[in-house]
Amino acid sequence: MRIRFIALCTGLLILAAPAAAQAKSTITLSGSTSVTPLASKLAKAYVKTKRGKVGFKILQGGSDIGVSDVARGRVTLGMSSRDPLPTDPGGLRFSRIARDGVCIATNAGNGIADMSQDTVQAIFSGRIRNWSDVPGAGKSGAIDLVVRNPASGTQDAFQNIFMGQNLRVSSSASQRPSNGRVQQAIASNPNAIGYVDFAFTKGLHTVSYKGIACSLRNAKSGQYGGVRSFWLVSRGAPTGAAAAWIKWIKSAKARRIIAQNWVPIK
Amino acid sequence: MEVRGAQSSKSWPLVDRIALWACWAAGMLLLAAAAAIVIYMGIRGIQYLRPEQIFSSPQADLDQSKSGGFLDPLIGTFILTVLGTLLAAPLGVAIAVWLVEYGRPFGLARLVESGVEVVAGTPSIVLAIFGLILFSNGAFKILSFQAEGGSVFGRSFLVAGVMMSLIALPLVVGGTREALQAIPRHVREASYALGKTRGATIRRVLLPAARPGIATGTALGMGRIAGDTAVVVILLGATQQLSSFDGAPWPFSTLRGTGSTLTSYVFNNSPAGEGNAPDKAYAAAFVLLGIVVFLNFAVDTIVRRRGAPAWSE
Amino acid sequence: MTTEVARGEARFSGLARALREPWPDRRTERVLAGVSSLVLVTIAGMVLFVFVKAWPSFSHNGLSWFGSGGNVDQQLGDIFNSPANPDHYVYKLRAWPLLYGTFITTAGAVILGTVISVLSAIFLVEFAPRRVRAVMGPVVRLLAAVPSVIYGLIGILVIVPFVGNHLISSGRKESVINVVQLTGASLIVAVLILTVMITPIMVAIVSDALRSVPRGWTEGAAALGANRWRIMWTVSVRAVRPAIVAAAVLATARALGEAIMLSMVSGSVGFAPNPVDGITFFFEPTRPLAATIVDNADGLSVEPFGQTLYAFAALLLLSAMALSLAGWAAKQPLKRYGIGV
Repeated sequence: MRIRFIALCTGLLILAAPAAAQAKSTITLSGSTSVTPLASKLAKAYVKTKRGKVGFKILQGGSDIGVSDVARGRVTLGMSSRDPLPTDPGGLRFSRIARDGVCIATNAGNGIADMSQDTVQAIFSGRIRNWSDVPGAGKSGAIDLVVRNPASGTQDAFQNIFMGQNLRVSSSASQRPSNGRVQQAIASNPNAIGYVDFAFTKGLHTVSYKGIACSLRNAKSGQYGGVRSFWLVSRGAPTGAAAAWIKWIKSAKARRIIAQNWVPIK
Repeated sequence: MEVRGAQSSKSWPLVDRIALWACWAAGMLLLAAAAAIVIYMGIRGIQYLRPEQIFSSPQADLDQSKSGGFLDPLIGTFILTVLGTLLAAPLGVAIAVWLVEYGRPFGLARLVESGVEVVAGTPSIVLAIFGLILFSNGAFKILSFQAEGGSVFGRSFLVAGVMMSLIALPLVVGGTREALQAIPRHVREASYALGKTRGATIRRVLLPAARPGIATGTALGMGRIAGDTAVVVILLGATQQLSSFDGAPWPFSTLRGTGSTLTSYVFNNSPAGEGNAPDKAYAAAFVLLGIVVFLNFAVDTIVRRRGAPAWSE
Repeated sequence: MTTEVARGEARFSGLARALREPWPDRRTERVLAGVSSLVLVTIAGMVLFVFVKAWPSFSHNGLSWFGSGGNVDQQLGDIFNSPANPDHYVYKLRAWPLLYGTFITTAGAVILGTVISVLSAIFLVEFAPRRVRAVMGPVVRLLAAVPSVIYGLIGILVIVPFVGNHLISSGRKESVINVVQLTGASLIVAVLILTVMITPIMVAIVSDALRSVPRGWTEGAAALGANRWRIMWTVSVRAVRPAIVAAAVLATARALGEAIMLSMVSGSVGFAPNPVDGITFFFEPTRPLAATIVDNADGLSVEPFGQTLYAFAALLLLSAMALSLAGWAAKQPLKRYGIGV
């Protein structure tokens, strides 16, 4: 009798294991840590409208990882906070979903009011090494630079918008793999300065750039200079559930979600 | 009776007295380190742990007051520990039984013994990325799931559980071996004299007698699984809440899905991760420490209360 | 027995009977041996997979993979940003700063740890008063059981800010600012916490061995007039030297494999601390191999970068295997004297 019972249970388990008719599709995303908060919000809202027919899994790693992953078919969509580059793998389609700002940030105790492009370039390239050489700084002492690692789209955006084509960030700058960690590093170090995505400035002091404050309103009006686009990357034209989601992102409901903290596209 | 040389250290030469103080210092240092860890975690835990954190799920929110507690990571730790132990225990007992009771050919036995030591010494990060290579292969998509676009995700509770069982395996083998070796030979001989086969002796006489040792080894293994972070960070999919795969019925939906554990929650909320929430990290670390201490100590006490076996004089 | 039950039993004849009746010894032995060999298959598989994945990185660099030359973080960045064409993948790496960082962190922790463990083990076995001795057993096991992420948490929230804000002066920071930034996360914090993590393993092994030294040896020394310390040092510790070696080897394997705690406190910069800098040497950040893998784990899927990370893992695997085997071999002579380890 016991054998029969055990055989029955084992049979049930073996039948249960393989996927039954897959009623739900899963979309996997990877890439930019800047896009992740927006993508999570949009994913959550979309799942609610679709009543459980779609699931999302979001990994991070930086824009370049997102682009590389989707090119090799490892994820459904990549998230990128930098524009397409000529060195990107071929056959990729970039779909713009929002615009966003990059802010220069210092520790809350260092209330420097404004920086010109020349000051930013001088500090981040290592030409100026001490806070006492920076006009308007609330501190003295060695400047600690906090930047992003090479995979980051925010780093690409910072390089292109603030540093220009000829200058590079100092090689002794401390690299972090995500916006959250840069935020953490600046918040705990009185002498630190770095750049973060607009959504990650809580607890830090944001520095006005060229006289314009780094705020959502200034980004929306186009006055703030450090604005870049958010993209969803697919291999070829998006298909299936991914295409449906990207189409939904252009709807009015999604734009309202985007407008909470980011700049929707017209 | 203890061996006592010159009783009072006052008569010792200076070099020996300095050495004595050094020994005392080393011992006190260890005691102080342990006390510091326990007391500090205790203070921070009591300061930051709120009961509702244990029962609410984490929410992804940049605002800390809305980001919830750590129910899902707690469940994740539980699932992973049970899964890893379920896989490691039978395997570990089988290996230990073979090593102690059979062990022929000798070359193979030595190889297996050193193999278990090698697994014990392998860094968990290497085990984790080996698991990633192995289970991202299409042949193993039954263990995780296949995303839109055709790639096997390669990360899930099942995948992490399999690698975790490798981490617990050497401890189970060690505990079972010690227990089996402690059983005197006359017990086995009595069983053979009564006509039982070796297999039956193992199953009906030796293993039940070795139960305390097996339990200790298993509990130590569970403690190590609960405390491991590297495998979780790489193989569990990094979703804060338990996120199941709905293509299969329960329990496979959860097991083939992703989630997090207390260890990855603490890591992610510390300054080394994204969360920037040291108070949540402390609270979760306090709970984690409690679980690990329980697994390492209380189980041992419970097991020891069973009393001496029948053949000890 | 009714005919229905008899028919039911007959239906499950083959498999059921084989499972219910006692197994012949030979079958039991073969099945168990097969299961045990799974361990060897797993290890072989692991070595094979990791080395096959790691091979391109080694073959493109040759022996200079282990050498120094340039900023290793920059080289990793270049590898990461390789063009998409497999023919143009960049593999150039000079991993010396990472190897050096791993080496000094591990060596520092093991040397410090061995000294403290041997002294503590002697204390535990010989000099501790009975009440302290009863407490120390659980204490050592507690320290061994604490998860590495908790060590890392205390390190990064308490020790690193303390070192960064109070022990590193602004002058010291400025003296090296051209090359590296000094925050609190540094070599000395990494070595200290790693020492605390590996000491319990060693104390357990050494104290067990000390306790098993044959009574006759120590009593003989006592009869000759040696004091307690002399007995311990000249007789017992001498006798358990293989155990100390085994303990140190196993602790080295543990220290090599520690990834999470080190990634939290050692500074996350691929920098080789420079002994010429004097005291500043201890405050410079570094990043051992295992921590490098954890820090860059997101990039495992990007081709040449992932292969470079697997090359690091291959190195770790090889070292850990060699150390585990050496530790196991070092424990064998002890069995000869009945010193059970």
